[in-house]
Amino acid sequence: MSHDHEHHHTHEHPAPAPVTPDDAGSQALAEALHSSFAIVKVVMVLMVLAFFSSGFFTVGPQEKAVILRFGRLVGEGEKVLLNSGWHWSYPYPIDEVVKIPIRKIQSINSTVGWYATTAEQELSGRESPPGASLNPAVDGYAITADRNIIHTRATLYYHIEDPKRFVFDFMSAPNTVQNALNNALLYTAAHFNVDDILTRDVAGFRDAVLQRVSDLIEQEQLGIVIDQCEVQSIPPRQLSDVFTRVTTARENRNKILNEARSYENQVLSQSGAQASSVTNAAAADRARYVQSITAEAKRFSDLLPKYESNPGLFAQLTLVQAMGPILTNVQDKIFLPARADGKPRELRLQLNREPPQPKMAAPNP
Amino acid sequence: MKRNVMTIVIGAVLIVIFALLLFVFQVRQSEVAVVTTFGKPTAQPYDKPGAYFQWPWPIQKVYKFDQRIQNFEDRFSQNLTADNNNLLVMVYVGWKITDARAFFPKFAGGSTLAAQSMLESMLRSAKSAVVGKHPLADFVNADAKQLKFDAIENEIEQAVQSQLQTNNCGIGIAFLGIKKLGLPENVTQTVFQRMTSERQILISRFQYEGEAEAQIIKASADRQAAETIANADAAATRIRGEGEAEAARVLPVFQQNPELANFLLRISALQQSLNQRATLIFDERTPPFDLFQHLPTNAPSR
Repeated sequence: MSHDHEHHHTHEHPAPAPVTPDDAGSQALAEALHSSFAIVKVVMVLMVLAFFSSGFFTVGPQEKAVILRFGRLVGEGEKVLLNSGWHWSYPYPIDEVVKIPIRKIQSINSTVGWYATTAEQELSGRESPPGASLNPAVDGYAITADRNIIHTRATLYYHIEDPKRFVFDFMSAPNTVQNALNNALLYTAAHFNVDDILTRDVAGFRDAVLQRVSDLIEQEQLGIVIDQCEVQSIPPRQLSDVFTRVTTARENRNKILNEARSYENQVLSQSGAQASSVTNAAAADRARYVQSITAEAKRFSDLLPKYESNPGLFAQLTLVQAMGPILTNVQDKIFLPARADGKPRELRLQLNREPPQPKMAAPNP
Repeated sequence: MKRNVMTIVIGAVLIVIFALLLFVFQVRQSEVAVVTTFGKPTAQPYDKPGAYFQWPWPIQKVYKFDQRIQNFEDRFSQNLTADNNNLLVMVYVGWKITDARAFFPKFAGGSTLAAQSMLESMLRSAKSAVVGKHPLADFVNADAKQLKFDAIENEIEQAVQSQLQTNNCGIGIAFLGIKKLGLPENVTQTVFQRMTSERQILISRFQYEGEAEAQIIKASADRQAAETIANADAAATRIRGEGEAEAARVLPVFQQNPELANFLLRISALQQSLNQRATLIFDERTPPFDLFQHLPTNAPSR
């Protein structure tokens, strides 16, 4: 708007300027002045434009921005934060733009508790070999409840919930978060035993670290929310060999125990099967016995009236009836008629004894 | 005329801008400002952000301080615990300027570095005093009730806080914590030796424990199996007994005519005994072979 205004003036002025042309010299001077005034005016317009356009700024994808107007934050609550894109503010000294590097998730690593190494060395596997002792100036470690030394480190992932608090109440909030994380590692290690941290209760240790960090952050009101916490712990490298042997021994023990348990299962299921077969057989026997005796009783009751009506005939009939199937089953039947003279006949039997059972079983199959 | 108006307007604007620069100062968010009049702090410090009036230099001068919480870590220094262990302790402190008017004259125009070096000396004495009151077991302990980690941090904080108050430094401590704990280098070596022997005890314990436990498991399995089978045998005997008892209820039927019962029993005994691999020798008196007696072909042959 304002530069339109000035534009009109530049066109109005040239008309009254050449009113008193004295001579050629002064006319030339006036023309020179006139043209230089025009340049000055163009420059001024450009400067005004530059002044206002200097209020434009961009916010990158990995950051947010806030505007301080006369030093005071513009906006309330969530609206304080300007998202990535183009924005405009009044130029300095009215407004001041403060950019805050906020990624969606921020992360921070602990700095105490690990031996002296760098990420590159670790990746390439060319860490300096461990010395006989740990130098407190360079090597970090934590002391466990049972006064062992271990190395432990953590990475904390968080996002900023209250950027006003995070940026304007702390000189270096990430540093404060880091110290809270360091403190949590030491504090938690101080009431865990070495085996719990390394093997028995790794998750419990991590949760305890997380709990302590959360407590500290809440206490210090850092305005952040923790998303995740990763903890890694190892025994001192000087002792890794003996720690490995403990692990092997533990695994061996578990193996032996598992074998014993599988033996237990096998023996118990076998004995269970055997027991049930024994009782089942008994139950079958019982049923069979009871049934047969009942059947016999029934047959007896059926036969009784017939028997009573004529015992002699009944007995003979029954015997002859029974002899039929009996004789079919009998393997050798020898009929020996009485001698015509009625004298007793002499009969000699040569019994061929059966060979003992085991000998017979062997060649048979 | 138009030209005059323009000049006046532009001039006025310039004057206003110039006056603003001279007479107004800004206090940013997170800052606090102290205004001195002829070198003496006057009025309340400006601790709310905004634009304020001032007389231009040399009458008044504005000093601004950062009001945010600043981090400070002291040296990793060696202290003696109550039970004569050497312990290296490093603490971190979050401190801030709470009273800018008190802070400003104390540290040569409000130098943060000067404030930190004073803080460090206070920390050093507070730390060694507090660590000296506690045995090592208060720093590391599996029993949460006996662990006095928090208490130690609080004691150091209290000590420093009270020193700051008596000195009226205008500094407050927002939080204080232990950042690093350590043992002297030569002690780590003895700790390693102890740890190694502890590990070796564990190794042998795992070996013997595993075998012993496996033995117990196997023995108990065998015992249970034997028990199960014995129980099953007893149950089987009982079941058969029940069967016999049941059968006994049927027996009175046979008593109606013991003669018939006896006869039938003998027949079935005969059936069973002659079931397999039996050889029978008859003469013609045995029924049904008695029929042969009357065969006509038989008699003449004799």
